[in-house]
Amino acid sequence: MPELLDSADPGRRDRHLGQMQNPSEMPKAEGEVPHAELPLSRERKDQPLLLCQRVSKWYGPVLGVNQVTLELRSGITGLVGANGAGKSTLMRLITGHLRPDLGQVSIFGIDAWSAQAKRLVGYCPDVDAFYEEMSGWQFVEAMARLCGYSRTESRRRTEAVLHRVGMANRSDRRIRGYSKGMRQRIKLAQALLHDPALLVLDEPLSGIDPVGRAELVALFLELAEQGKCLLVSSHELEELEKLTDHVAIMARGRIAAVDTVARIRDRLADHPLTVRIDLRKNGGPLANGQSYRHHRDLAAQLLAEVPEVCGVEIVDSPHPLVGRLLVRARQAERFFVELNRLVLDECYEVIHLETLDSSTQAVLGYLLRK
Amino acid sequence: MATTAATSSVQEGSTLSAFLALIWISWKRQARARQMVWIALGLLVFSLVAVYLQTARDRWGMHHWRWPRGRDPKALTYLEAVNRLPLVLAVVQPNAPGQAVQHAVFGATRTILSPEARVSLPSTTDQPRYGDRLACSAFQVFSQAVVFSIFLTFLLPLWSLSFGTEALGGDRENQSLLWLLSRPIPRPLIYLAKFLALLPWCIGFNLGGFALICLMAGTPGRLALQLYWPAVALATLTFAALFLLIGAYFRRPAVIAIVYSFCLEVVLGNMPGYPKRVSVGFYARSLMYERAEDFGIQPDRPSVFLPVDGQTASLVLIGAALLLVGLGMWMFSRTQYHEVE
Repeated sequence: MPELLDSADPGRRDRHLGQMQNPSEMPKAEGEVPHAELPLSRERKDQPLLLCQRVSKWYGPVLGVNQVTLELRSGITGLVGANGAGKSTLMRLITGHLRPDLGQVSIFGIDAWSAQAKRLVGYCPDVDAFYEEMSGWQFVEAMARLCGYSRTESRRRTEAVLHRVGMANRSDRRIRGYSKGMRQRIKLAQALLHDPALLVLDEPLSGIDPVGRAELVALFLELAEQGKCLLVSSHELEELEKLTDHVAIMARGRIAAVDTVARIRDRLADHPLTVRIDLRKNGGPLANGQSYRHHRDLAAQLLAEVPEVCGVEIVDSPHPLVGRLLVRARQAERFFVELNRLVLDECYEVIHLETLDSSTQAVLGYLLRK
Repeated sequence: MATTAATSSVQEGSTLSAFLALIWISWKRQARARQMVWIALGLLVFSLVAVYLQTARDRWGMHHWRWPRGRDPKALTYLEAVNRLPLVLAVVQPNAPGQAVQHAVFGATRTILSPEARVSLPSTTDQPRYGDRLACSAFQVFSQAVVFSIFLTFLLPLWSLSFGTEALGGDRENQSLLWLLSRPIPRPLIYLAKFLALLPWCIGFNLGGFALICLMAGTPGRLALQLYWPAVALATLTFAALFLLIGAYFRRPAVIAIVYSFCLEVVLGNMPGYPKRVSVGFYARSLMYERAEDFGIQPDRPSVFLPVDGQTASLVLIGAALLLVGLGMWMFSRTQYHEVE
């Protein structure tokens, strides 16, 4: 589905660059972590902050990420996909925990695997592992010390980020006694410590109550306004749409679409898709005396009554009692509404329905679910 | 969200500070007793109790040994009997030539058996006389039974692996290695910091445990501590480097390290000829044999054991530790930890 893979809109990219050029003019919030002087040479300003170039990653024989190309400059980008779609692998590649088998991941042109690149990246992982014996304060301070700050500077930054994530009053308790939401906030605090240009947040809102979510969403928006680049993953498009309308949809290791949700919808409308429908040939009688209808009738009705259908093919089914149709259609949303109506009104017994293009299916899955 | 007063100037983190902080944090985190460390402590207590009981019963030395084993007289009882025999034989064998022959036989027997004769009579063979052995037998028995058989073969590797495999293996197991790999510290330095944080615990526990066991044994133990501590320290250094590497490379480091310690070290360490030279224990033993040579400590069969000299043993142990650390740094800088998330 290559036509869905266009990058973000050019206007958005320009806005981000404009914001990056005058970081000193941005208003500073109280208690904000001081901005590290990023080594932004002229060449670096022209470079994308994050650049994944045809990145592939195998886990043995399993392909985790397949030829992914992604370019981010600033603002918030949502990364959605089902479990196993490759979101976490992509994030681990971006944060330098994994190395691509093919392709390259760079942060401002620096290899993401290097320690130098990690100064530019803050990572809030999905994994729920801490130094459990420490308090929230001790953990965040330890992370600050591991960034190479002096003891005084570490304390100052720790205090600032804990305030920022709303944990200042609860940071003296041991982490093992924290709720899921508090642990999420601590993870977020350590990611903000060194004021990174790129924040990679893996399911940052999971386990957080609605009030906390609203606070963190406000924080993410504030960070984006400051010119930071945020890559936020989630299972739910609806959740991400509160943060951003710019999403990358992943399916089976590939990025199926990158753009605003509206643009993806528009492109999808023109994109033909193939749907396989299996129906029982001799369905049993219904309560009203009628019986289920034959799959050939559905093929005829689809061609005659549904304008979105471009063609129908009746193919052999491995089971003698099952009839199989391959339907080519445009305007996926409208097509599925019409198909639904026909199946219910005209008594077809559908036993299997599948979109044969996995990328399209993934995109549809997210767009239609909403 | 709450906010506080504005901050001052920006400070860039330094790699050296991060490295030192990592050593300090790792050292503190090693203090948390885990299962293997509890096992190590348990073994230490068990060893101390066993050594204390032996010491309390005055069981070091060969004076209580019987030959044939378990049935016939002890060496000293036999010596007393030999001392009494001439008086009896003077009565039953009155002729002078016969008595002369018997005196010669009994005199030679006393020379061999008597501890007091050790200094006055020069040894005529390479093998030490029984009397010599009896004189310093407490040290020899302690060395063979405790130092070589239990401490060097069993306790030293086990204690080393308790800490060594936990240093990185523990972080991998509970997935907290993720936090170190997210920080801007070069990976080789993370590995080196872990090793440096591990060393005080390993050396402290091994040398401290060895010292406690030795002191519990009294005089022979004190002599053993004085002679053997350099070998214990150097073997600990090498074992620590080896087990840290195993922790960085294998998913079940404790199992691999135990298999290595009790299969490869023991099997290779007891093989004739040169194969044993790949085991850490061989060099530690060689160093110990050289330092305790004056006290009659030597391999059972020197021509089979083929020990190296002490200087070579020390150099090999230090060199192996450096090599293993270097290899670990290189490997760690390239390894991707898939289980970390």
